[in-house]
Amino acid sequence: MIRINNLSKYYGTTAALNAINICIGKGVIFGLLGPNGAGKTTLISILNGLTTFQEGEILVCDLPLRKNLREIRKRCTFIPQFLALYDNLSVIENLHFFAGIQNISGTVLQNNLDYAITTNSLEKLLKQKAVTLSGGQKRRLNIAIGLLNNPDILYFDEPTIGIDPESRNDILSTIRSLKKDNKTVVYTSHYMDEIEKICDEAAIINHGEIIAQGSLDALLQTANDNSAIIELHYSDQTSLHLLTDCIDTLQVIDGSTLKLKQQNSTNMSALLKILETKQIAVKQIRYQSMDLESLFITLTASENSHV
Amino acid sequence: MFKAMLKKEFVLVLRDKHSLAALFIMPSIFILIMSIALKDTFSDDRAFIRYNVTDNDQSNISRSLSAILDHTTNLQQYDHAITDSKELQAALNKGLHFALTIPKGFSEKFIVNTSKNLLRLDVASEVKMDMLNLFKGELSNVLMQIRIEQMLQQFEPVVPGITAQINSQAIDTSDLVNIHFNGLPPNKIPTSTQQSVPSWIVFGMFFIIIPMSTIFINERKQNTLMRMSAMNISIPILFAGKIIPYMLINQIQVWLMIGVGIFIVPFFGADALTLGNSLTGLLLVSTGLSLAAIGTSMVIAVSVNSVEQATTIGGILNILFGAIGGVMVPKFLMPQSMQMLSNISPMSWGLDGFLDIFLRGLSVQEVLTEAFALAGFGIIQLLIAGLLFSRKKRNGI
Repeated sequence: MIRINNLSKYYGTTAALNAINICIGKGVIFGLLGPNGAGKTTLISILNGLTTFQEGEILVCDLPLRKNLREIRKRCTFIPQFLALYDNLSVIENLHFFAGIQNISGTVLQNNLDYAITTNSLEKLLKQKAVTLSGGQKRRLNIAIGLLNNPDILYFDEPTIGIDPESRNDILSTIRSLKKDNKTVVYTSHYMDEIEKICDEAAIINHGEIIAQGSLDALLQTANDNSAIIELHYSDQTSLHLLTDCIDTLQVIDGSTLKLKQQNSTNMSALLKILETKQIAVKQIRYQSMDLESLFITLTASENSHV
Repeated sequence: MFKAMLKKEFVLVLRDKHSLAALFIMPSIFILIMSIALKDTFSDDRAFIRYNVTDNDQSNISRSLSAILDHTTNLQQYDHAITDSKELQAALNKGLHFALTIPKGFSEKFIVNTSKNLLRLDVASEVKMDMLNLFKGELSNVLMQIRIEQMLQQFEPVVPGITAQINSQAIDTSDLVNIHFNGLPPNKIPTSTQQSVPSWIVFGMFFIIIPMSTIFINERKQNTLMRMSAMNISIPILFAGKIIPYMLINQIQVWLMIGVGIFIVPFFGADALTLGNSLTGLLLVSTGLSLAAIGTSMVIAVSVNSVEQATTIGGILNILFGAIGGVMVPKFLMPQSMQMLSNISPMSWGLDGFLDIFLRGLSVQEVLTEAFALAGFGIIQLLIAGLLFSRKKRNGI
């Protein structure tokens, strides 16, 4: 549905995006992760034709973006990070206005309005002015406006910022429900648990480059290093560093914490024996399975250390 | 598409009480107040110069002077008695324009033809020179009349019947001159309503700067413009979606204010507005003014970054355009250099066009220059706004 080949975008001589390659299939919910300034919003803006790019090629619905922007826009929608709606118009007036400027009318308008309203549970709020809605309700209206053209592709730019957990869950289930309608979703967020909850695939972007990409399961599997955290009744980091000479996969986190990567019964019993010999008491052993957040932090931290 | 934009813009303006007050109520009230306040200035029915005479001479001549002044149309005797100088000062501060003191011994000096410092005239400080000259002229006429009567009395014993003969040849000066105001039918005089309505229509129309720029800035801030961009709304379409509704709002303003001039102002004793001879001219000038006001609004809307800046700059610009353009002080009262300067204000061109239609009764051909100049000014401003906006858009709205 979306194919990005070697996309680069420069602000002067600084690369905001550098040789990005992404492929997103139809009906996939795709998460785009990255720290602030990584290039997520730039990429979303480019995909919506709001920002130009210098190199590479983007195909949306098999059409080159540059030449078919108007046509592509009719099949896509952009739900921006900030609430892009009119506070002084009611919910239904906002919906009618944004449908009107897209020349949606007649039966199509009625069907699309019904779809946008029911998908976002706005039935009881139609006559209320947007300014009087809660943060979560405004977010739902923001999404409903995006559904008015019944798009094939939806770009969500951090749509759950600043709302309560209940509203957040409602929005996430709304987005998840779009999958059953075979919609393609590109979703950026700072919240890793959201990506884990709703996305099928994800890419991690940092300093304008994709540093990991694939299905969530594959990403987590590759990243999972089967490590164990050993907490000690001890506080001498220098002495602990001597232990790393004995076991290669051992890492000193701080004066009282060790991390044993790729742990197994052999290296774990070797470590425990050494600790017993040195009369260092073990407080707790935790076996870690890596979640998306850990993966994100590990990857972006190692990237940052190379910069 | 335009229908949706038109409806949205109307709803947003109608729900903004401040905009409604600035667009419709403020100029209507201005028209009402100014037409009523100035109605006597344009009327020959009521005297507008208030004077008082203190007769310390109490002679036949001084009494005659008071009596003739009392019958002069342009003058109105002050209705409070003034007995001392303190009261005189107070009266001059409270609406009395002129206080004439006839000193003791005036008649003797007048008879022997002593013309220096015969009378004392105290003048209120706000009196302009043209009013002072008018009063001095009236006073001279009265003194001349008394002198002629006095001379006739002297000649009567020598030439019996001369007084009657001279009086029979006297002419009635009130109908001596047939006055015809340019552009008006015979026997019609300009009214305060005809003068005020054009000024305040022009001023009121430019007040769309405030709602238009604040709504646009809010749209920029609330990212609705960005969303519209992503929905294939280009800058020309976006601008057209602004121009059309605000032109309609301006037309509603024009006809509302004309309605106030025709139907409301007469209720308060001032003359009703008449439309002039060219409805097409009126529509052309008001459309040109609309474009000029909308162009200015759009330049402000895309240049500034906050609603506060827009309202401050918009308000200041409006008042400056109005002051320079002859809305607040009529251009004919300005010195030559200021009259030249006033041509830089589009309000001045609009006002000239409206005065041509409302006051001078001219045809559409006579206002084409003003209408096209205003439209050209507006289109140039819109092009500038479009360029500025597309540059801002490239850098992120």
